[in-house]
Amino acid sequence: MFERVKENWRVLLLVVVVLGATVALFAPQFAPETAPGESAENATQGMTNLQYGLDLAGGTRIRAPLVGYTATGVDFAGETPTQVASDVAAELEGVSTREVDAVLGDDGSGTGGSDGIGAVEVTATSVSETEFREAMDASGYGYEGIRSGVTGETRDAAIEVIQGKINEAGLSGGSVQQVQSITGEYFILVEVPGQGRQDVIDLLEERGTVEIAIAYPDPNATDGTARTDGILVQDDFENIGTASRREAGSGAYVPVSVVNEAPEGERSPAVRFQDAAVEYGVASASGGARCNYDLETNSLGESSDSCLLLVVDGEVVNAFGMDDGLARSMASGGWADSGNFRLTTTSFADAQTISINLRAGALPAELDISGQGTSSTISATQGENFRLYSAIAGIFAVFAVAGVVFLRYREPKVALPMIVTALAEVYALLGFAALVGYPLELAVIAGFIAVVGTGVDDLVIIADEVMSEGEVNSRTVFDSRFRRAFWVIGAAAATTIVAMSPLMVLSLGDLSGFAIFTILGVLIGVLITRPAYGDILRRLLTVR
Amino acid sequence: MTAIEVPEVDYTEYSNRQLVLVPLAVLAVAVLVIGGWYVATGAPATLGLEFTGGVELRVADDAGGDVEERIETAFDRDPDSVRSIPADDVYVVTFRAAADDPEGLASDLESQADAAGLSVEAIDQVSPSFASDTARTTLFGLALAFLGMSVLVFALFRTFVPSIAVVASAFSDLVIPVAAMNLLGIEMTLGIVAALLMIIGYSVDSDILLNNSVLRRTGEFYESVSRAMRTGVTMTVTSIAAMLVMAVVATVFGVGLLRDIGIILAIGLCADLMNTYLLNVALLRWYKFEGVKR
Repeated sequence: MFERVKENWRVLLLVVVVLGATVALFAPQFAPETAPGESAENATQGMTNLQYGLDLAGGTRIRAPLVGYTATGVDFAGETPTQVASDVAAELEGVSTREVDAVLGDDGSGTGGSDGIGAVEVTATSVSETEFREAMDASGYGYEGIRSGVTGETRDAAIEVIQGKINEAGLSGGSVQQVQSITGEYFILVEVPGQGRQDVIDLLEERGTVEIAIAYPDPNATDGTARTDGILVQDDFENIGTASRREAGSGAYVPVSVVNEAPEGERSPAVRFQDAAVEYGVASASGGARCNYDLETNSLGESSDSCLLLVVDGEVVNAFGMDDGLARSMASGGWADSGNFRLTTTSFADAQTISINLRAGALPAELDISGQGTSSTISATQGENFRLYSAIAGIFAVFAVAGVVFLRYREPKVALPMIVTALAEVYALLGFAALVGYPLELAVIAGFIAVVGTGVDDLVIIADEVMSEGEVNSRTVFDSRFRRAFWVIGAAAATTIVAMSPLMVLSLGDLSGFAIFTILGVLIGVLITRPAYGDILRRLLTVR
Repeated sequence: MTAIEVPEVDYTEYSNRQLVLVPLAVLAVAVLVIGGWYVATGAPATLGLEFTGGVELRVADDAGGDVEERIETAFDRDPDSVRSIPADDVYVVTFRAAADDPEGLASDLESQADAAGLSVEAIDQVSPSFASDTARTTLFGLALAFLGMSVLVFALFRTFVPSIAVVASAFSDLVIPVAAMNLLGIEMTLGIVAALLMIIGYSVDSDILLNNSVLRRTGEFYESVSRAMRTGVTMTVTSIAAMLVMAVVATVFGVGLLRDIGIILAIGLCADLMNTYLLNVALLRWYKFEGVKR
């Protein structure tokens, strides 16, 4: 028994791989994960566990850079990022400090920075590179250079905003990531299955409403809580920083500044906020409020002071009290001159959420889709048609291969295992795709067809080599011939892998899927299916 | 039923010079075509949407009636091309990016199509600057793949003439399909790029087989060549058959990517038959009978 297993281990390995692929394709355990609010039937498309990409299922893909310029290696000269940002913004005409951001500790080169060195970016679309350069020169801060694009922090923030929007809209299977081109430029890649182009663009450009409200104890109310809305709204914020960790101790914060200028005879938003904070007891001369707010019931906890509430699209997402120092400067009326404060949180993740929410779902920089990006949309019916058509094209290609092979050898003993082995290769690849959840695209299907092509080529080499020079009458003769054939196959496989590997890493549309599956197919072929074919052929040909 | 037999060629009847003449002449013509294209259009091939930028709409008729005529009138710009897909009742309308490209062109075209009662099945929009990036990346990728293949071939054979024979015929296999594309009016797309890379992988197979048979195996030269040829021609013909069938089916159903790959691979493999069994054989014979003695 053991002897037979040892003799046929190559064939057995192929059988195991095919069985494994079957499990990955059909077993419900390997079904794609369901998105929240999605039924299992929706997640699995069709009877297999295969997932289909946009080409074959319909949807929209957008790839575009975030617009902006970044000054790298900026010497902050001991100033705070907020100060630097507003100094630079002041040199740019018609640009609010909102559209200029300074980040300390990241010199913009992506390698991390030293102390006091950071990056300054401008995200206003109206600013040209020359204007930004002039503004940087005029602001007096030293810098290394200007490049197009935004900082890594801004890209990360944009990705989180987009991901949040996709999740919020309940679009299952939507994804966002950043990709880098060989020129070093970063692109944001958004993929949303089942949605049209305009819908996705609207979603990306849409801004939610964000405001700050104050909840204060009210003995007359049933739950003891009263609330005043609209203390600060979206437009009252001038500059929303990125979430940062506290220098000392734990916790994190988001630096924000409130507009402190107003037309004659009106109170500025900063003054309004200051007055409201004092009026509702968030700030007083003795210190700030200690907040204890229950987000579940939307009411103040017992013995809680007044709370500042962060309201996004009508829903309270966070509540906080106020720092004593800040409260005193509010009570004395001096705070509104600067309008800066920090929204503090206990965790960094919370600070990030608040920063994103405060940006009100607006991207920190604009996505330039028509200027420097690409988008593509395929309707669901078209995608399903493509699925059918590419399957037909693939099946016909296999028939063509089978036809030629039968005509050439006229020997079912040689030709039939050849076709079966080549198909087993594709089947194993499909199983792999189902296992790792790689979405099938047209390019991947093209890869499958390429695999059948190279696969049969190699099987032809094996068959011809083994059957050359007369009868195969012993195992030794077979083995030596098989080994000779394998040198050519190995060399051919290596060249295919080398030729395809650039495609795998370069960002050229969905061709990386094509390259990945061609290379995988070649590997499976060389390591598993072709040796197995050799064994099958040996059994059929060796005279016992 | 008759079996396909690979014909035996009597190479002794032809001198090396005669054998090399045909593939070199074809290569020269191909290079001239590509060079001429470059001089005339500023690009080595007719570039498709992905390399020039623009918008491609796939529209279906939802009301019935003369779709082609409605496409003509639906848009406020003249489409650069309108192609119908026979099996799918769909038309592919292409607008190239113009210098005065207005922002949001794709959205405008989409709403214009909707207004004309044409349902938009797919939109592809590529901005010119992204397209030129893609073109650069493509050239870089092709060069890298070719270089990698060359290095590998030299490492495998470790002798100059046989290795350069493989590399030269692979180069010719790449150039000839591109020239053929220009003459046939096929546009350069990403699918074609994939096909060209695949040619690098595929075409080298039969060359390696031939070199291996002649250099690493015992036996007389002509016997080795005919043995390698029997296997190699079967391989290549199988692939050509598969690619032609795929190209025809994909054209009928309008699956552009598969059609492009099919056509280009079929042409490239035909070129490979010629290059392997004329150019490569001649170089090997020269090396075997004259080159080695030096």
